Amino acid sequence: MTEKQDQIKVTAASDIEVNHEELDASIREFAGPNGDFYVIAFHKIHNSTGALPTTFNFFAALFGPLWAASRAIWGMFWSFLILEIFAWVQIGRGFWGNPGADLLERAERQQARVQDMLERAAEAASQDDVDRFTTLAGNLQKAAEKTLSEANAIQSEAPAIALTGLLILLVVKALQGFIANSIYEKRYSNWRIDHSMVESGRHMRNIVMGVVLVAAIAPLIIFKFTVNTSFAFLDAFPEEAVSQVLLGEGNGTLFAALAGWMEARIDAAALAGGDVFDGVVATVRAVLDGLTLALIGSPWPVVMLIICVTAWRSAGPRVAIFTAASLAYIALLGYWAVAMETVALVGASVLLCVVIGIPLGIWFGKSQRAYSAAEPVLDLMQTLPAFVYLIPIIAFFGTGNPPGILATIIFGMPPVIRLTALGMRGVPESIKEAAVAFGASRWQLLKDVELPLALPSIMTGVNQTILMCLSMVVIISLIGGGGLGKEILEALQYAAKGPGLLGGFAILFLAMVMDRIVQGAFRQKR
Amino acid sequence: MGDAVVKLTDVWKIFGARADEAMAAVRNEGIGKPEVLQRFGCVVGVQGASFDVPRGEIFCIMGLSGSGKSTLVRHINRLIDPTAGSIEILGQDVSTLSDRELRRIRAQQIGMVFQHMALMPHRTVRDNVAYPLEIRKVSKSKRWAISDHALGLVDLTGYEDRLPSELSGGMQQRVGIARALASDPEILLMDEPFSALDPLIRLQLQDQFKALVAQLKKTTLFITHDLDEAIRIGHRIAIMKDGVIVQIGTPEDIVMNPADDYVREFVQGISKLKLVKAHSIMMPIEEFKATDERSLDDAPRADENADLDQLIDLSVQTYSPVIITENGQDIGVVDKARLLRGIQGGKND
Repeated sequence: MTEKQDQIKVTAASDIEVNHEELDASIREFAGPNGDFYVIAFHKIHNSTGALPTTFNFFAALFGPLWAASRAIWGMFWSFLILEIFAWVQIGRGFWGNPGADLLERAERQQARVQDMLERAAEAASQDDVDRFTTLAGNLQKAAEKTLSEANAIQSEAPAIALTGLLILLVVKALQGFIANSIYEKRYSNWRIDHSMVESGRHMRNIVMGVVLVAAIAPLIIFKFTVNTSFAFLDAFPEEAVSQVLLGEGNGTLFAALAGWMEARIDAAALAGGDVFDGVVATVRAVLDGLTLALIGSPWPVVMLIICVTAWRSAGPRVAIFTAASLAYIALLGYWAVAMETVALVGASVLLCVVIGIPLGIWFGKSQRAYSAAEPVLDLMQTLPAFVYLIPIIAFFGTGNPPGILATIIFGMPPVIRLTALGMRGVPESIKEAAVAFGASRWQLLKDVELPLALPSIMTGVNQTILMCLSMVVIISLIGGGGLGKEILEALQYAAKGPGLLGGFAILFLAMVMDRIVQGAFRQKR
Repeated sequence: MGDAVVKLTDVWKIFGARADEAMAAVRNEGIGKPEVLQRFGCVVGVQGASFDVPRGEIFCIMGLSGSGKSTLVRHINRLIDPTAGSIEILGQDVSTLSDRELRRIRAQQIGMVFQHMALMPHRTVRDNVAYPLEIRKVSKSKRWAISDHALGLVDLTGYEDRLPSELSGGMQQRVGIARALASDPEILLMDEPFSALDPLIRLQLQDQFKALVAQLKKTTLFITHDLDEAIRIGHRIAIMKDGVIVQIGTPEDIVMNPADDYVREFVQGISKLKLVKAHSIMMPIEEFKATDERSLDDAPRADENADLDQLIDLSVQTYSPVIITENGQDIGVVDKARLLRGIQGGKND
């Protein structure tokens, strides 16, 4: 019985032996130089069932990050480079650094002030002053002595610091030795999946790169942190010196020159295109004035009633009640006129966003080339912090509500463009083909098939745009925009907590009411 | 076939930026499909397809996916422009049509049904069916009347005001057929209309469709990847492989005389019951009488055009063989051994 079992085991083992040859060849191919070592190491890793690594790579321990670099394991290179530099910094501080230098310096300063006080005491005319200065000098003397003893205490810890550093270094080295083969084995496994994605073997290029990086980083860092009095040019970028070299002495900094140049360009452009910019502002102002007249010019009960009824018709009684309560809050706190100004600002921005954005979205949805060209611009419009493009807006369009609307449009238009394009592209080819097969012209295709099917996406885009415009109309108060944003900005400037919060809630309610009404309307359409 | 409604002459379609160069190379050097791909990076969709479809015929185009059958049929209403060759419908070359004329032909003369129905989800069933009429600017009352009639043809009366998403797959495809019929076109293009349906519904729709087309006398191009379907529906079948039409013929033609191994392989699994006729498996009556002692006294009789299915029905009721007649005259005999061989595919000892 046992004999038979043994026999079976022997056959199984020989089978594994056969597989190993293939594996070994592959490991050798992966490792390149020193392949035999890795064959044995990987076997140990493959055979072990425990969590702890059982292999030790002496070269990895000795050369540390340089070994990782030579094998192109850059993640390991960086982690252990940092750890080793940390250890070396501690060693350096212990051996040749001056850990108590700060305190010694302070003690010296205090000592000097003691002298100063004593001198003043000597020069003082009245006995009161003499006493006062003497007491002060005495106190300072005590403080100086305390600092000095602290400094000495730290100084005496230097060997301990050095020892700690040495210990850390040894632990880090040992750690590298132990985990190097495991990490390298993981890379081998990845390399098996795709040879072209994972670098194999050992290359001179990587070793040189590793050496250069270590040589550039380690000495400077260790120097800076161990020697307290380091070179000034290592502490701050010497931009003034560079400016002098580039521009010549006495010509100011690079920054000043560039800023001056840009300012001149922008002024020139604003002057040259003045008519165009004025035209744009006039158009925006016309839209805004129309809306403002409707919202503020009309008697407030009419506007309130219309808003409440709209909420009820589009989103149901609950939203209508919420709308009425929000409007009551706004009106009772005296925000009615400014809130309606905000609504007019948002309304004008959204209107312009939709009128410009949907046709653009349709175009980008149909033409891949146009979309590729526009995509970076759209990204820029959304990622650029609002404060940054407020500046050119002021330069070209001045301050006040219309330029504010332009800034809002820049910020709010990308969603409607993107989602319109997305919706247009999401229309199934088969339905478009069917319409064409039944003789639809391009216009009929757009009107009957593409726009209706893209509508949910377009509506989501419009909703996003509304919310983004609402958040932006607060910021445009910085360039003279009115409405609730202005109230909040004023509250902010005087740190008026109460008015600020009340205004903030007014904007919040306004946003919620608009969002509810618009969403309710879209849901009904679907 | 002077009355060809659809006529394709040597139609080629090569996809890719360098299609014209590739076409010239094919013409001048006679290079094949793999070489075109290698040298020009172009894919050959259709290679030299020619056929005529006479008025009222159901012409099936059968092939596996990627064989170019859908590409081929899209040339007929010029959803795809050919690289070379000519396409005539109703005696008119479609490649010479202006955009406006093309749209008119598409809306009036050609109805198309798609594999994935391609109904507009936001329109009611009735408005979907009426869409080809709407494009032609037919008045609303007229197009509602016409689309209700078309929906009646496919048994969907009562569903006019539903949205397509409320209907089952089979019903949706019937809406698709109604839409194709609504403008009363001369030609129907069916692009794998029943492929996405489950087998039972498919059978029902095939029968319904066949009856409908026979009644309305529409010239039909029917694409399918299912030879059973092609045989059940088609008057003639074209078999396509890699963009080439391998064989055109009647279902019996194709089953009994496959043009090459590719077609033979296809035909192998096909049931011969409805295709093989008595005259092709019978033994002449004189030969039977000379070699066999069995009595033919109470033998049942069947016409020479009876198919195997009918012969089986007759044969199971009696022990004796079946006598085959031509114009009332006894001409041959089919015994059980011959019948079984016939079912296997006409192998005779």
